[in-house]
Amino acid sequence: MITAGVDAGLRNIKILILDGGKIAAKGIAPSGGAGRAKAIEKLWEETLSSSGLRKGDVSKVVATGEGKNDVLFADKLVTEPIADARAAKFLLPTAKSVVDAGAAKTRVVTIGKDSNIEEVVLNQKCMGGLGLLLEVIADRLGWDLDEMARAKAGETVVNDGCPVFAELDALEALNKGASREDVAGAVTEAVAVRLHSILYDKVGVSKDATVFIGGLAKNGAAVNALQKRIGANFTIPDDPEYGTALGAAVIAAD
Amino acid sequence: MSKQIWETRPLEIWGKAKELRANFQKAINEAAASPNSLLAHGNTGGVDWSVGFDGLNVVEDNPIGAIMASRSDSFSREARLASEIRGWGRELCGYVNNCWGCQFLGYDSPDGAPFPYRQLSVPLPDPCDQHAKRGQQCMDLSPIPRFGADWPMYLGPIDPERESALVEHKVQCILHVINEIERIFGKKYDDEKLFNVLDIVPRVQVLVTKIAQLMANVPAPLGLKELYSFYTLSVLTKIDPQEMLDFWKAFVDEVQWRVDNKIAAVATERYRWMEAHPSPWHFLRYFRYMEQYGAVCIGSQYSHMLVEPFKLNDDGTIGREEQVKVPEGQKIRTREDALRSIFREARGERFKDDEYFRKHVITDFAKAFHVDGAIMPLWRAGVGCTLTRKEQGLRLSEMGVRVLHYEGAQPGDRTDLDEHDFLDRLDIWMESQGLEKLA
Repeated sequence: MITAGVDAGLRNIKILILDGGKIAAKGIAPSGGAGRAKAIEKLWEETLSSSGLRKGDVSKVVATGEGKNDVLFADKLVTEPIADARAAKFLLPTAKSVVDAGAAKTRVVTIGKDSNIEEVVLNQKCMGGLGLLLEVIADRLGWDLDEMARAKAGETVVNDGCPVFAELDALEALNKGASREDVAGAVTEAVAVRLHSILYDKVGVSKDATVFIGGLAKNGAAVNALQKRIGANFTIPDDPEYGTALGAAVIAAD
Repeated sequence: MSKQIWETRPLEIWGKAKELRANFQKAINEAAASPNSLLAHGNTGGVDWSVGFDGLNVVEDNPIGAIMASRSDSFSREARLASEIRGWGRELCGYVNNCWGCQFLGYDSPDGAPFPYRQLSVPLPDPCDQHAKRGQQCMDLSPIPRFGADWPMYLGPIDPERESALVEHKVQCILHVINEIERIFGKKYDDEKLFNVLDIVPRVQVLVTKIAQLMANVPAPLGLKELYSFYTLSVLTKIDPQEMLDFWKAFVDEVQWRVDNKIAAVATERYRWMEAHPSPWHFLRYFRYMEQYGAVCIGSQYSHMLVEPFKLNDDGTIGREEQVKVPEGQKIRTREDALRSIFREARGERFKDDEYFRKHVITDFAKAFHVDGAIMPLWRAGVGCTLTRKEQGLRLSEMGVRVLHYEGAQPGDRTDLDEHDFLDRLDIWMESQGLEKLA
């Protein structure tokens, strides 16, 4: 059975196609802003084409994400934590919690013994945009996002309560001569502090059975800072930004 | 999940409620236009004494500010901006900023009448927000006489000696205000009218409590949105005391009838949630949105406890927690005693659910009303701000009640509530509990 999951996020659209429990294809593209529905349709066709599939081959499509209503070909819509939890169980059958940190939002989902959702924590306003913050800082440093891995902890400290203030602090540090590695280290540490607060907003997360998905999970420096801070060892899939789309595709296969 | 479909029907008492509210507005407009009437700026609580003056109408900023927030987005934003550019803080109570902005702009009030400028102001400080500042702008703009009435308070366990001393201070403040109004405006104070009100108000409070008690039934006979429409008729909107008593008697009768006949607020009720503090007044449509999930809000500590602190009795019945009061059976014979019965406590608390003093209230409330979940806003300012909300949320989570928080500036400030995010959160909250929208 071939199914697909579409995660229409704020920054990017992610599509993942599952064939008999194995990933057959995946595609990612910018969200398209006001033209999101068209951008989704275009990516859908490209992803199908890349795998040699036709629309009729896909039995069911489940959409999620902020722009899920723009997935006009979806058979079913689900909210993100539902998909996150299913992705976590698919990736790690013993998963007890999943963290999904994207460009705009962060969610923590705790999963019960019978795979039901026990609790969902959604970021508050000042926690928003952590993924975007890393993108913006990389841009300020003249780096690609992947280069943020060069971050090193140094003397520089930036505000860890607000991404806007964090960016201003980072600019000030650069103007005063701080190294790019040092500034990147300060920003990733600030992101880790904010993530720590949401992870423990209510019930906490499992130290050894937590799956970390979302685009922010690609930033090794931030994830390592967080793991070190709470003494955890997260399970991170190869392409974590597809995590929610994977969960949607798994739901479609039910 | 229950698939029961209940009978539902509109309340018959709506017509009377609208009539009372319209009469209240009419009295304000007439007072504003009449040279023989006085329009006073006052506060939510503790203005019962004002009935002793013929033709004195007290206008409270809370409901007017909330209505302004609902009127239109552009109206509300303009009013708030007008207040902010004159230096008033953005995080000042939204009700206040709406009203002041409206005055600065010279706008009409929500019903189309000119904004009701006051002839005097009696601001009573309140532990919940910036009530003490409320009279200042009215006075500066007009100018008008402004009476300073203190609201001394303390925290910690009830101390009878301090209670007595601080209550007495409040009483003396109001006695002074009454004397000054008589002196300045040549009005004669009628103590008998005050005594009459103090005889009626406790009887209304019993009826209001009765409505709250009936909300524990399944299906819920009303939703919180309906309760909010009526509760202003007992507390925030000052109407003829006897008319108020008659109204609440009829209201209790109708709600009791709904309970006896299983008439539901939401025909598909299968999920019950509670709240703790005021909702965003311009965005009450989320109650209707939640009905798509078969969810009904059975009330909030704010709606159920405006009259008295809530108490869950040992036998499971819902009662009212006793506070320091005029001793039972003591007949009120003097103006001083009457005021003592109004200002009967000095120990500070917020919405009678004091996290430090009555930790049990939030969990008892959830038990008493058989709730599945709780929606608890995190307001940055004004009524019911964030203080202790997270702690209360954790306490509810520990007993298995799922909690949803959302953020905003203040219930009367529509400029800083992300409505789309709020609805998204509701969807996530309900779906994560296994509920989907009903066809």
